[in-house]
Amino acid sequence: MTIIPADHIEHSLEQSLDHCIKCNICTAACPVSAVTDRFPGPKYVGPQAQRFRHERQPSPDESVDYCSGCRVCNEVCPTGVRIAELNARARARLVAERGIPLRNRLISRSGLVGRLGAGPHAPLANALLGFKPLRAVIERTLGIAREAPLPGFSRYTFRSWFGRRRAPQTSNGAPKGQVVYFHGCAANYYEPWIGRAVVAVLEHNGFEVLLPDQRCCGLPLLSNGDFAAARRAHEDNVGFLAPYALRNIPIVGASTSCTLTLKEEAPELLGMQSDAVRAVAQQTFDIFEFLRMLHERGELRTDFRSIERTLPYHAPCQLRAHRIGRPALDVLELVPGLRLVETHASCCGIAGTYGLKVEKYRISMDVGAPLFETVRRSGADMALCDSETCRWQISHGAGVIARHPIEILAEAYGVVT
Amino acid sequence: MRTMIVIGAGLSGLMGALALAEAGLRPLVLAKGQGATHWTAGTIDVWGADERSPREALQALGESRPRHPYALIGAHAVENAIARFRALTEVARYPYVGGLDRNVLLPTAAGALRPVALLPVTMAAGDVRLGGEVLIAGFHELRDFYPPFIAANLAAQGIAARGIYLTTPPAFRRHEYTTVTFAHMFDDPTFRSDIGRQLRAHRGDATRIGLPAILGLRDPLGAVAHLQHESGAQVFEIPTLPPSVPGIRLFALFQHAIEQHGGRLQIGSEVNHGDGQNRLLTTIWSEAAARQQEHRVERALLATGGVAGGGIRTDHTGIVRETALDLPVRAPANRADWFAPRFLDPHGHAVYTAGVATDARLRPLGADDEVVYDNVAVAGATLAGTDTVRERSRSGVSLATGWAAGRILAGLVS
Repeated sequence: MTIIPADHIEHSLEQSLDHCIKCNICTAACPVSAVTDRFPGPKYVGPQAQRFRHERQPSPDESVDYCSGCRVCNEVCPTGVRIAELNARARARLVAERGIPLRNRLISRSGLVGRLGAGPHAPLANALLGFKPLRAVIERTLGIAREAPLPGFSRYTFRSWFGRRRAPQTSNGAPKGQVVYFHGCAANYYEPWIGRAVVAVLEHNGFEVLLPDQRCCGLPLLSNGDFAAARRAHEDNVGFLAPYALRNIPIVGASTSCTLTLKEEAPELLGMQSDAVRAVAQQTFDIFEFLRMLHERGELRTDFRSIERTLPYHAPCQLRAHRIGRPALDVLELVPGLRLVETHASCCGIAGTYGLKVEKYRISMDVGAPLFETVRRSGADMALCDSETCRWQISHGAGVIARHPIEILAEAYGVVT
Repeated sequence: MRTMIVIGAGLSGLMGALALAEAGLRPLVLAKGQGATHWTAGTIDVWGADERSPREALQALGESRPRHPYALIGAHAVENAIARFRALTEVARYPYVGGLDRNVLLPTAAGALRPVALLPVTMAAGDVRLGGEVLIAGFHELRDFYPPFIAANLAAQGIAARGIYLTTPPAFRRHEYTTVTFAHMFDDPTFRSDIGRQLRAHRGDATRIGLPAILGLRDPLGAVAHLQHESGAQVFEIPTLPPSVPGIRLFALFQHAIEQHGGRLQIGSEVNHGDGQNRLLTTIWSEAAARQQEHRVERALLATGGVAGGGIRTDHTGIVRETALDLPVRAPANRADWFAPRFLDPHGHAVYTAGVATDARLRPLGADDEVVYDNVAVAGATLAGTDTVRERSRSGVSLATGWAAGRILAGLVS
């Protein structure tokens, strides 16, 4: 089976090589090559190595596997070379040649892991994963770093809560419209309170929240180079979501990596271009992007309580890759008293599943060190970040609580559930 | 909602954004990627085409070339911009020295001499008029900086110079090095002490030591002082090939000042379309995942650079266009007229003067000098009427027109 389609995207990636002026601004900005010699930097591994990658020939290097996929290179490139996409497709070629290690198969299936661990037995699963000797065994047998931050499973899933609750709480009678909520694995299995905050904020603004079937967005599969499985995941999700998208019902998510995958990562990396895929992409919104849009139309409720706090805010790489600015800052600056200070750190280091791997754990902590330092120096006992794995990493590295900005917004609305 | 939009994050966009932010107008800076700060020397050249001082040249331009960007905004506006820039760098404890009275000649990484009006104090001891023997020191690991080559070229111009290579201390060795890798190392006092001792050992009769411009990002003045103390000579930086550490320092201090005043920067978002009516730009779109991001516009500053920076694009069919808003461009009518027959023609190539023409309020003009948008100002290398590389006025034009455009848009210039 062809892993990398010979599509217009591959063609545009090839063309973008010619735009590289070798300025090394990407290398200077790359948080991974700054801390390890195992990754020589985006310019070498991306536009330069790509010249030596040909079909039916072995991949020229393995260092591409040390790209964390943070996309800082794309962000800073003055000429628009799509380095992160080049690297992701190159990794998939490497994986197709050499196979996927068991460890990567496991950690890239966050839906499966979540289903196994979440539920009434969660305390037992959490105790086991918090048991250091067992983590040492897991590290030796599977290669998952013993210190790496694993989230705690929830005793209940978000979907079970949503199904059990009474009538939707839309205020002021008839709903203003319908919104599909794409909760992703994290809100469903680990942090259902974030899903509840999303629902509460949307309903407070008069929307009816719909919850069609959905599965993992497939980003962990993409970043581990398992394109075949990622394709199946995206085909399923498009099947679930397209009926809504084609009726112009927005799909909103609070996990910036899931929404990026629906918008762009899956269609572009996998070369999926049907009308249904495109409709889902175009109707998908980050929650704060959606709320900011409401505000621009004058439709966002602003009945906020004041919150007298100054908090550090980290814009995660996967949000920056949306190229939509800082929607959480734009919306939260409407809350009286609340002041968010952007960290400007390039990356927290975890990059999804990257920092869980024993050979990459140290790199991920070194990448995150400037962020941890900034958060610690802020003196605040809480940091805000839109992406779940980044929050877990920030808590692990900086020793503070890390919350999703939507939780603060729900608090400001007084709709904490 | 942010409706004061600056397009471009080079020197002109950053100066304009600072002016808007200081006026309390909360600008949003949109840029395709990192701007010219990251690939230029970090010095400010105002005029270096001839022997005149920058001030004399500025005053003469008003009469001789009334459509030159300096002439449009006036010499006084240039002085104001430079004063604001100097104050900004002083507050950030990375002061610039020099002025418009005379150019300073600084050695380049090729050992040529380059006239600049303003320079970071870390480069001040590079002024060739200071005399004495110069030691040029570098690292084998840092590409495109060859001390013996630099020294030989300086010596050929009558400047006593020697070039040597330093040894990277084993604890700091890496597989790959960029200017920024070295800058992080120079932030570390143990690395500096080691380098300082090597410099002292090599110093001989040299009173000044030139190093590549990689002497730290956190506290470059402290790094220079430390190296001077250890080596016993004056130490100065020589600009390198990109990425430019002095430029990265500049970007960081602008970013800090703009955000302190309520502005916001959004890097990685290319503006590729604008729409308006009745001579008012109303909406622009920037590239984003899955769909374009729409921005409503009250006022906008266009500062996307010229042919080199990507603000003006040319193609093989002879089309010359402005990439963000598709404004009318002044350019040679035929592709055959773009280039002079000789590559190193002393008059340069006509295509490099291509750009957007403006009135004195920097509003873009159409083919018959009619104003295209009342609420748009254009600044920097996007402007027509000048070949800034040839004039050695590139960063000066950017700095001065960027500041002037920001002040005009803020309603502070009558």
